[in-house]
Amino acid sequence: MTKEHAVTARRIVALSAGLSRPSSTRMLAERLGQAAVAALGDQGVDAELEVVELRDVAHPVVDAMLTGFATGELADVIEKVTNADAVVAVTPVFTASYAGLFKSFVDVLDKDALAGTPVLLGATGGTARHSLALDHALRPLFAYLRADVATTAVFAATDDWAASGHATGGEAALGERITRAGRELARTVAAREPRGEADDPFASAPSFESLLGG
Amino acid sequence: MQFGIFTVGDVTTDPTNGTTPNDTERVRSMLTIARHADEAGLDVFATGEHHNPPFVPSSPTTMLGYLAGVTKNITLSTSTTLITTNDPVKIAEDYAMLQVISDGRMDLMMGRGNTGPVYPWFGKDIREGINLAVENYALLRRLWTEDVVDWEGRFRTPLQGFTSTPRPLDGVPPFVWHGSIRSPEIAEQAAYYGDGFFHNNIFWPMSHTRQMVRYYRQRYEHHGHGPADTAIVGLGGQVFMRRNSQDAVREFRPYFDEAPVYGHGPSLEDFSAQTPLTVGSPQQVIDRYGKMREDVGHYQRQLFLMDHAGLPLKTVLEQIDILAEDVVPVLRREAEAARPAHVPSDPPSHAQRVAAARAEGRIAEQVVAAADHWTGRTAEDDVDAADAVTR
Repeated sequence: MTKEHAVTARRIVALSAGLSRPSSTRMLAERLGQAAVAALGDQGVDAELEVVELRDVAHPVVDAMLTGFATGELADVIEKVTNADAVVAVTPVFTASYAGLFKSFVDVLDKDALAGTPVLLGATGGTARHSLALDHALRPLFAYLRADVATTAVFAATDDWAASGHATGGEAALGERITRAGRELARTVAAREPRGEADDPFASAPSFESLLGG
Repeated sequence: MQFGIFTVGDVTTDPTNGTTPNDTERVRSMLTIARHADEAGLDVFATGEHHNPPFVPSSPTTMLGYLAGVTKNITLSTSTTLITTNDPVKIAEDYAMLQVISDGRMDLMMGRGNTGPVYPWFGKDIREGINLAVENYALLRRLWTEDVVDWEGRFRTPLQGFTSTPRPLDGVPPFVWHGSIRSPEIAEQAAYYGDGFFHNNIFWPMSHTRQMVRYYRQRYEHHGHGPADTAIVGLGGQVFMRRNSQDAVREFRPYFDEAPVYGHGPSLEDFSAQTPLTVGSPQQVIDRYGKMREDVGHYQRQLFLMDHAGLPLKTVLEQIDILAEDVVPVLRREAEAARPAHVPSDPPSHAQRVAAARAEGRIAEQVVAAADHWTGRTAEDDVDAADAVTR
């Protein structure tokens, strides 16, 4: 990998809050991320995908809620998410909303961590009757975080994984919805400059003269 | 290099026997701990300031004033003095009084306080925390360095012709630290004035502390107070020691597991790896804290939290003895051996500050008030006096 490549390749982080292994939530996160990378590739934009299972940092997430700081692997994940060019966020629907682990992870992010970041939402559940959780739970959460959320969000019910790859009864098949969502995310990402390296957290600290003046 | 202890003054149930000290017992235990630290030869005792249970030290200068009378050598300090919710005029008066009473054997550390509900109890708003710290401290400095102050700001009623008494000892105000965990504005404030910067350190990964201290040092140099490595830095720390490290872990674990702040969270082992908490033998503490300067540079003050989470008084006094006898002499020797000559070993003492001020011609004769313009015999007289001055 040349240095040029390292600087310009867009970094997409796909978060999965699935708890089981194997997990259909992880599968959806991965496929959404791959769809975005492929769509960026079609436009000649280089991109890398990293899939993160929040299950792996479940204990550190709870520790961070209690201690007020994140360490180790969780700190790495938070840094990756904060500095990503785009985030795919996928959760199982539990009890009419996002999984507790998903929300807990969002809670330990800085409130500005996703401000302006292109985000693609996804959710999984037993039946399509849960699909509105995307719009009544996830979308407001990411609106609060001031993320740039793609219009299309993808819900995958158990049936979707078994269905054929083509539209049936006027409803687009899962694969088509994933492709469409990936294209949407890719359009937003391609229109922006790459994020590049992490910001210096002290770069924006005000001088004391301005503090006194304010 | 100075070594000492700092206390939060929490009232916490001892998880091993269910007993909880009442407020009186807890205040008295703090006094005993401070006196013991003095007798053991530690350099600093610092008390927190809190205005909500389960914390008892609401009135630091009352406590430190008493301790000034019953201790001999230890420097009395705070961790922290609330620069946001206290009236800066009262801070100027209280700490100048403490400075005189202790004959300069004190300094203080400014902090904002992170308990939201406390602010409105004192008519303030936590969202203005930084602005309060900036304005109040700017006023505090003027009250100590100018005999007569005319002042107007956002957060307090204006002052006209005001003189804070007693005037600082020898005309030189106490040394001030600024404590902050994650606000670069406060590191910047400390650097701007050439004051000390203290990082609490104990609940945070070292990578974070390192970043904050480095920023303070850079800004200290930027503001013209000297090379970055001569800036005055203090760190917090937390240890529990027994001769055998397994004994220390066994004895401390129930206190850790139930402790305020981090209890029921990470394991003792994880927290020890992630933060400066060190539970083990004195040698393990020496090894860990002797390396702190690799992260933050040569620093001048190391304070340890020793009396929290419900630990019995007897245990705390034993910990102070172990610290003073087995740990501090080694750490001090190592720090001195490693310190370049141009880096100060200690934060400036009162005597050093007086000498520096004399050398720079900054000390005027202490003003002796010739007349009382203010006190009336009746309330009406006071009104007349106020009119006369504000007219």
